Amino acid sequence: MVEHAGGWIGASLLRKEDARHLLGAGAFVADLKLRGLRDVAFVRSDVAHGVLTAVHKPDDAATRVFTAEDLAWVNVLEAGPELAAFRSGPYPPFASGKVRYVGQPVAACVAQNRAHAEDLAERVSVEIDALPAVIDCVDALAPDAARLFDGWPDNAFITSRVTEGDPASLAAAPIRLHRRLRMNRQATVSLECRGIVAHYDARLDELVIHLSTQGPHVMRRGFAMALGLPEHKIRVIAPDVGGGFGGKNRMMPEELAIAAIAMKVPYPVRWIEDRREHLIASVHAREHVYDLTISADTSGVLLGIEGDVFVDAGAYALWPSGPFMETSMAARNLPGPYRIRHLDIRTHTVATNKAPLGPYRGVGRPGACFAIERLVDEVAHALGREPIDIRRLNMVTSAELPYDTAGGLRFDTGDYPAALETAIERIGFSAVRARQKTGEPDGRVIGVGIAFYSEQSGHGMAEWTKRKSRVVPGYESARVRMLPDGSVVIHVGVQNHGQGHETSLAQIAAHELGLDPDRISIRYGDTATAPFGFGTFASRSIVFSGGAVARSCRMIVEKLRLIGAHLLQATPDAVRIEHGRVLSATGSVSFAEIAAAASIRQELLPDGVEPLLEVVSTYEPTDSRGVFSYGTHAAVVAVEPETGEVEILDYVVAEDCGTMINPLIVDGQIQGGIAQGIGTALYEEIPFSDLGQPLATTFADYMVPGASEIPAVDIAHACTPALVTEYGVKGMGEGGAIAPPAALANAIADAFRDIGVRIDETPLTPRRVSDAVAAARSAHAAQPSEAAS
Amino acid sequence: MRTITLSVNGEDLTVTVEPRESLADVLRERLDLTGTHLGCEHGVCGACTIEVDGKATRACLILAVMAEGRRITTIEGLRDDPVAAVLRRHFHEQHALQCGFCTPGMLIMARDLLNRSTPSSEKDVREGLAGQMCRCTGYAGIVRAVLAAADETTSTRSPTP
Ligand code: FES
Ligand code: FES
Repeated sequence: MVEHAGGWIGASLLRKEDARHLLGAGAFVADLKLRGLRDVAFVRSDVAHGVLTAVHKPDDAATRVFTAEDLAWVNVLEAGPELAAFRSGPYPPFASGKVRYVGQPVAACVAQNRAHAEDLAERVSVEIDALPAVIDCVDALAPDAARLFDGWPDNAFITSRVTEGDPASLAAAPIRLHRRLRMNRQATVSLECRGIVAHYDARLDELVIHLSTQGPHVMRRGFAMALGLPEHKIRVIAPDVGGGFGGKNRMMPEELAIAAIAMKVPYPVRWIEDRREHLIASVHAREHVYDLTISADTSGVLLGIEGDVFVDAGAYALWPSGPFMETSMAARNLPGPYRIRHLDIRTHTVATNKAPLGPYRGVGRPGACFAIERLVDEVAHALGREPIDIRRLNMVTSAELPYDTAGGLRFDTGDYPAALETAIERIGFSAVRARQKTGEPDGRVIGVGIAFYSEQSGHGMAEWTKRKSRVVPGYESARVRMLPDGSVVIHVGVQNHGQGHETSLAQIAAHELGLDPDRISIRYGDTATAPFGFGTFASRSIVFSGGAVARSCRMIVEKLRLIGAHLLQATPDAVRIEHGRVLSATGSVSFAEIAAAASIRQELLPDGVEPLLEVVSTYEPTDSRGVFSYGTHAAVVAVEPETGEVEILDYVVAEDCGTMINPLIVDGQIQGGIAQGIGTALYEEIPFSDLGQPLATTFADYMVPGASEIPAVDIAHACTPALVTEYGVKGMGEGGAIAPPAALANAIADAFRDIGVRIDETPLTPRRVSDAVAAARSAHAAQPSEAAS
Repeated sequence: MRTITLSVNGEDLTVTVEPRESLADVLRERLDLTGTHLGCEHGVCGACTIEVDGKATRACLILAVMAEGRRITTIEGLRDDPVAAVLRRHFHEQHALQCGFCTPGMLIMARDLLNRSTPSSEKDVREGLAGQMCRCTGYAGIVRAVLAAADETTSTRSPTP
């Protein structure tokens, strides 16, 4: 193994987790074989909204069918922020009283395998009296709209307002542009769907739950409260997890039902979500409507934003956080990186007859970024200016950092205009402008679009308590254990599911311990062995878990020095650590010798030093408001105006995520995040019929981009270390997914800016683009002089 | 139930199946070959790609009974395959996997691509892998890895004039 010139921090170490997957020897939940295992198929509502009047079990199989009645003992978890203004309806594992979305579980059927379970599910009859479905989150707030929950004054989970500065002053602004923008609903689409295997272990008297999850410890807490079991009688094990992206970090009704059933039957039960279930009934994402007015002066200085943000949150709040985080993050991120000081945003988090909304890579911010960056381009267009000039004029400079935004975020370190300029240069902005003048031989039209994003990460107690979060993920933990031969096992509370923690956390430990990463194992995903932690989400792992690993390793190092010095007959301050040894001026002793003394030869220890080299510690950054990664995305597209087909010709990102532990992994996260962002921008959507039927239920009608659709991204790094984290790291897992809808929409709009095309809704499918071009062309033909201005 | 015999990774196996069972389910559930993954079970994602009689095939789309007497190779059967070994090394070096769920199917399809032709351009590789979904990587590392493996296997197999 080659050590990076600067040590393990910053080395593009190849990943430890690759070998097993390359052999097909990874172990995902569905791969687990337990003796006597039975499979479950769910009976689901095929009606979006209705009164559930009866569920009939087949007489010959009644003991293998479980309904709401059978699980009436399961406690309903209160979900959502701890705010009096937040309403939420009870979300039991099985619908009772009413069904509120197509796909809502109504019953579970157990059989020897999935096919037989599905046969049984077909024989369960469900009677539902249909009610009008609520499917549009703006119409849902009309006084005469059908209500999801009796007793609610309207369909909003919560209505809230973000105000800052003097929004009343905006009425007099010379430029006031009103736009309505929409980012549609999609699925999270981990390639491995959800899955759970649960059984009651009679010997240990505990419920064992194998779960494809991003956070086993928090899930155990949810299971314990719902099932009425003490936490020491529940063990949650997350084996290899085939992607999550936010979609595996909430307590879902199916998982709760399986765990509950496992407590009642003498065999292990398994449910592996199929793709149809995933698309209709897993965590749904996005679906924002922005009805905004942006104000500017005639020189292009942006003054403020007013209006409404609607989030279609689906039928229920998912434990623990519920959907308000989506809305508040969208609203708070609306000013982007700009000096926008006046804000008046009403937010509406709306219940509809769709699957519940949950977090998905970027949470709230892809929509906010799409909204503000589209508006900036529209202001530029209205003023006849280059969009990049309006950005240059309004962007917060490094001299202004730290900067408190009107949305209440504190930008910490970096150089935002530098990222903008790098992206402009790398995309060849002026060359694209020149090429646009000559036109394309194939009749397509070229456009270039820019979008800036920032990504809050490493936020701890200060931020989560501000959000009134029910669970406050303000720290992470690491247990470092040096074994008698001097090798190291580190248990962490985060949950690797593609992020490469087995490698990057080992690099941090290697750096601190002066040990080769080959001698270090990172373990996670088992509540029985790992210290409590919150899991992997919100771009938090490298900041929190990296910090905890560093801290625990330093405590181990102290003890190694103490014992090593004693063995060398030196004083602890006269020794140093290098390559797995403690060295004094005259000699050295290996970690193996020290660890042996600490573990199995206590007579060699100095007086008063306890045996064992084992430490658990926790870590939170010294400022818990968060550290911000950021960057500028720039895209060049070619659009076929008649068909609306979009080809991405070039895609550049200029980013800064502080210190990189492993640049190879960082680049992989950026490229992968952008691929998902391109999906949001151009392809992925779950539309609904008027009756609330989801219309994308297979990969034939839900478009996930493939190798032909995703370009290799040109990535430029800057590195401004964070001031409040270990090594200056910032989290960066989500940034790639935030800006593509904005950058690509701006590029498409740019292609047709001469006719004033309106690009205001994602995904920008060929139909939406060609419709927008056709509409702009006919408006332009009708009023040529005005539209050309 | 029907009893069928198939050759799986070089071994003749007899297994009793229901006529409606997919080959993927039989490999995974009855033969414990869990390296064949299921991402959609309707023929789009490519996670279940295996080889049947030397051709890359979606195991979720064929019934086990249709595979009677056929020669089946799964990722577990490619441990010592020289082309797969080259691909593995380049996948590792190019960071061509994150969660690893798509990886077995991706490797089998990439190997099929290399055995059928010599993809010489990025476009060839992207088209050749168009039916293999990866949700994590954004494909860039995969494409680089397959191109590098194509280079290497071509130069070792037949020196191009
Ligand atoms: S599982 Fe066979 S193609 Fe998706
Ligand atoms: S590595 Fe996760 S799907 Fe490809």
